Amino acid sequence: MTPELVKVAAAASDNTWAAIFPELMLACVALLLLVAEIVLPKKFHELIPSIAIAGIVGTFIGLLINFQSAWLGAYTFSGLLHHTMGGQIMRAFFLLAALLVCLLGRVSLAKQAMPRIEFFHLVLIITAAMMLLAQSAHFVMLFVALETVTIGFYILVSYFRTSAASLEAGLKYLVMGALSSGMLLFGIVLLYGIAGNPALKAHTAESMNFGSLAIFLAANPHQFLASIGIVLVLAGVAFKIGAFPFQIWIPDVYQGAPTPVTAFLAVASKAAGFAVLLALAGKDGVFASYGWLVTPVLTVLAAATILFGNVAALTQHNVKRLIGLSGVSHAGFLLLGVIAASSPLAAMATGAVYFYLFAYLFASFAVFGVMTHLAGADDSDQDLDHYTGLAKESPFLAAILAIGLGSLAGIPPLAGFMGKLFVFIAAFQAGARWLLVIAVAGVVISIYYYFGWIKAAFFETWTSPVDSPNTPARPARTPVELAAGIALVALALGSLALGFYPGTFGQLLALR
Amino acid sequence: METTVNHIVVVPYILMEPLIAAALIALFLRRRHNIAAVISVLAAALICFRALKLAFTGLRFEGGFEWLRLGDFALSLGVKYDDLAALMLVIVGVVGLCVHVFSLGYLSHDHAKARYFGGLSMFMFSMIGIVLADNIFMMFIFWELVGFSSYLLIGHWHEKQSASDAAKKAFITNRVGDFGFLLGIIWCYYANGTVNFTELAALGDKHALVFSTAIPLLLFCGAVGKSAQLPLQVWLPDAMEGPTPVSALIHAATMVAAGVYMLCRINVLMVPQALNVIMWTGTVTAIYAALCAVTQRDIKKVLAYSTLSQLGYMVAAFGLGSLATDQEGRTMVVAAGVGAAMFHLTTHAFFKALMFLGSGSVIHGCHHEQDIFKMGGLAKKMPLTFATFTIGVAAIIGMPFLAGFFSKDAILYLAYANNRAVFAVLVFTAVLTSFYMVRLWKLTFLGTPRSEASEHAHEGGLTLTAPLVLLAVLSVIGGYTGIYPKVFNGVFELIPEAHGSAHTVIFATSLVVMLVGSGLALTLYNPAVTDSLEQKSPGLFAALVALKNSFDRVYDYYVAKIQQRFAMLLNFLEQIFLAGVIIRGLAGLVGLVGLGARALHVGNLNAYVYWFLFGAVLLWAYATGALAF
Repeated sequence: MTPELVKVAAAASDNTWAAIFPELMLACVALLLLVAEIVLPKKFHELIPSIAIAGIVGTFIGLLINFQSAWLGAYTFSGLLHHTMGGQIMRAFFLLAALLVCLLGRVSLAKQAMPRIEFFHLVLIITAAMMLLAQSAHFVMLFVALETVTIGFYILVSYFRTSAASLEAGLKYLVMGALSSGMLLFGIVLLYGIAGNPALKAHTAESMNFGSLAIFLAANPHQFLASIGIVLVLAGVAFKIGAFPFQIWIPDVYQGAPTPVTAFLAVASKAAGFAVLLALAGKDGVFASYGWLVTPVLTVLAAATILFGNVAALTQHNVKRLIGLSGVSHAGFLLLGVIAASSPLAAMATGAVYFYLFAYLFASFAVFGVMTHLAGADDSDQDLDHYTGLAKESPFLAAILAIGLGSLAGIPPLAGFMGKLFVFIAAFQAGARWLLVIAVAGVVISIYYYFGWIKAAFFETWTSPVDSPNTPARPARTPVELAAGIALVALALGSLALGFYPGTFGQLLALR
Repeated sequence: METTVNHIVVVPYILMEPLIAAALIALFLRRRHNIAAVISVLAAALICFRALKLAFTGLRFEGGFEWLRLGDFALSLGVKYDDLAALMLVIVGVVGLCVHVFSLGYLSHDHAKARYFGGLSMFMFSMIGIVLADNIFMMFIFWELVGFSSYLLIGHWHEKQSASDAAKKAFITNRVGDFGFLLGIIWCYYANGTVNFTELAALGDKHALVFSTAIPLLLFCGAVGKSAQLPLQVWLPDAMEGPTPVSALIHAATMVAAGVYMLCRINVLMVPQALNVIMWTGTVTAIYAALCAVTQRDIKKVLAYSTLSQLGYMVAAFGLGSLATDQEGRTMVVAAGVGAAMFHLTTHAFFKALMFLGSGSVIHGCHHEQDIFKMGGLAKKMPLTFATFTIGVAAIIGMPFLAGFFSKDAILYLAYANNRAVFAVLVFTAVLTSFYMVRLWKLTFLGTPRSEASEHAHEGGLTLTAPLVLLAVLSVIGGYTGIYPKVFNGVFELIPEAHGSAHTVIFATSLVVMLVGSGLALTLYNPAVTDSLEQKSPGLFAALVALKNSFDRVYDYYVAKIQQRFAMLLNFLEQIFLAGVIIRGLAGLVGLVGLGARALHVGNLNAYVYWFLFGAVLLWAYATGALAF
């Protein structure tokens, strides 16, 4: 037996694997899907997505039951993973997002002549990787998990391979993603190298480990190379969350990707970036001693992101680009929360970021759910004009859309309002006053385009273009199935309930 | 302790059932009129049942939870279920059920029955929220919700211009009062650090409460709006545009009484000066409304002014509690005001709801004729309505041994003991009350029919008559505090009782008052198509009409000549500066930047990569710049 195998066996014998049981479970379900496709006769293939959904629901319930896990606070796998309450919350978040993506995927894939099973397989794998990412305490773990996520997304983005837009989006995402991974990796290597330099105080052989690295950085608070490494790492993460100026890929990729994948990118991938950012830049994070560097960099990013995202979204007519750019602005608001979380003054900031993420999840998936039902055969062509008259034709979808968009815009009493309120209060406590002014201006701008969308759905009627009366009419609205309908209602109710009574949820998220 | 917890569990049911009913109706049953009606009535029946059961188990409890905490500032929602709340909840439950059942018959052919019943359930939800609230802030939330449901229901027949105008008038007038109420809540929180009733009372016991004349007076503004006291009384007579059962429930028995209930809730905050203002407001409202009632021709308007007048009595009773007080005796004597006011509120809820529903029965029978001079002779056509209405009239004019007699005597005694001027005004008001009520009664039911409609009047079905009978019974026995089980003792023990010579004086006064008033009315009014008072003494009649119209005239003048012109000026400024320069200008600027931002996303991968690297370099440059510091 090799030493590694001995280690693995030891880990198995003291049951460390149980710490990542949810991730293992997802991976097993993912493999089961592929096996099922081979084994089951064709007529049963319809059932395979249900296996994925059942697997996610089962994992989710298991996670909730064991929410106060015995592993809380522990490091496992030689310090690769650190199990925290924040990690538990993010695990639940990713599972919820995966569940919704699978539900939307069923609706969306029904309109395409595409293989079905790989889609769900990839969603499960990506989810498992994101769950690990949120708990990683080691740069190797972080990078591997992040790359698993990114590579999975390369395939998912170009999943509709007969569509030129989808393929183009996939290629763009691949190139930009490789570029950002390169940056991130370069930053990690710089940090690794400098922290291993025996000439410096507190140098360490374990410099990929978050704990050892934090000690090293605290001992060398103004190291030039380390600061470059930190900026590059932050730039790599900024790509994930779509912060300005690393947002450039977002409109094209969001437009080209299948709508459920866009939702997955917009919500889960972004949230994964923020989980990493909290672990790195939070007040107990790796870069805590480099606050003098991290805070101004994040502040500039946040201000530019909020302004750019909102202003750029104003002129969009394609709703997928619109929601992508609005998502950029939400990344800006979340950055505000991260900045507050890096300050010891704002106790509630971390909880506020989590709360915001959940509010964003409910609202975004409500909107994406409606988008999925309105998309035609050409998934990338979803125009604001397609929404005209929606309130008359399908009051249900219109109501869900209004609640989702209202929550994204931050209209009380919806969850989005409470999320913004908490983040803004945290930022106020942390003393980021100017950033708050910018954020409020951003909210004002955002109401314009969100309500333009609502206006199209409720107050405008469809007229075919005067110059080309022969253009095909809008794609037909897809009838709402039971499962998707229940999910949409639950999302809308969640947005309402969190807005009316954030109490228990707010307390849960403010734990850390 | 465990049973207490169990009963707190009941509270969400009682509060949420009407809300669920309203939501179901609004979302799914807008066209399924009969199902909607049944659901709403079912919810009302459940409320009534739970309210009675909760009251008679004798358990009292309170508890709440934090709703929202922002730093040191916390808002909580909770329930305070003491004897006061229990009594009010029973009133709301019983009268609410009667009105729901009556509505079944009254609006059986309405084209928007579902909307109506949805509104009623919404109202029940809001009203129960007010009753159960354990702090002023929560009360304010539901306070606004009753205002909203009242708006919906007054404007039920919104095709009628007058109805939608009346709905708006009610809502806006209430907003004026609520502005003061809100200021009072904020001030109270600022001064005392809490708006929870129990915590305020505890602070009062420790002599740690911050007293100020302004806090209770600002809070009283809310009551002035909701209970339609002078000078915000103008909305209540117009609110009679709503369906008659709504007038019975909202504008007679419960919502308008919420102002009085709120005063009783915040009695710990009271100071003598504020009570003085409250007392005089109530007294002036009582006499003013009674004078207005004398000239009315519309059966519902008479009842509306009578409601105003009776609400004036209650408010005056509350204010009277204070006057002979020093610091030591403060609490006790205010409590006497609470007792008298709540007692009258209870009996009034029964007999006024009875009379409103009776008038509804009359209007229904006469095919929507509301002019009492075109009625007459209904005693024979509608014997049951006649009998119950007579009981209602007897109760309100203070016929001995009926409900109104006891509660009115308690108030008169309080006035007699504390302030003779108020006593004189209230006695005169009582004369007027029996005058206009007997006038109404005689013109409507006696003599011969004076119009086609009253010729063919007929008694309504069981849904119309059963609530009348129940309320009539309550109007007879509601004044005997002995019949209430001891569960309401927290309120009824506070009712002041006259002894010895005072007792004789009060008893004699009220008898004389009743006889004089009703005697005058019986002799003056002959069943005729025209108003006898107008014929015999046109000067007096014109003066009374002018008095009634004076407030509306002043407000119209203010709105049309002052507020409207100011608004036009503001509009002009807004068009030029806000809309023109700031909004258009800024929007243009932002739009321009947006176009620039859009141009950035050209779709060219090479450009993206360059931009990406450029961004990284920029960030790096910024970071090294930061490094230089």
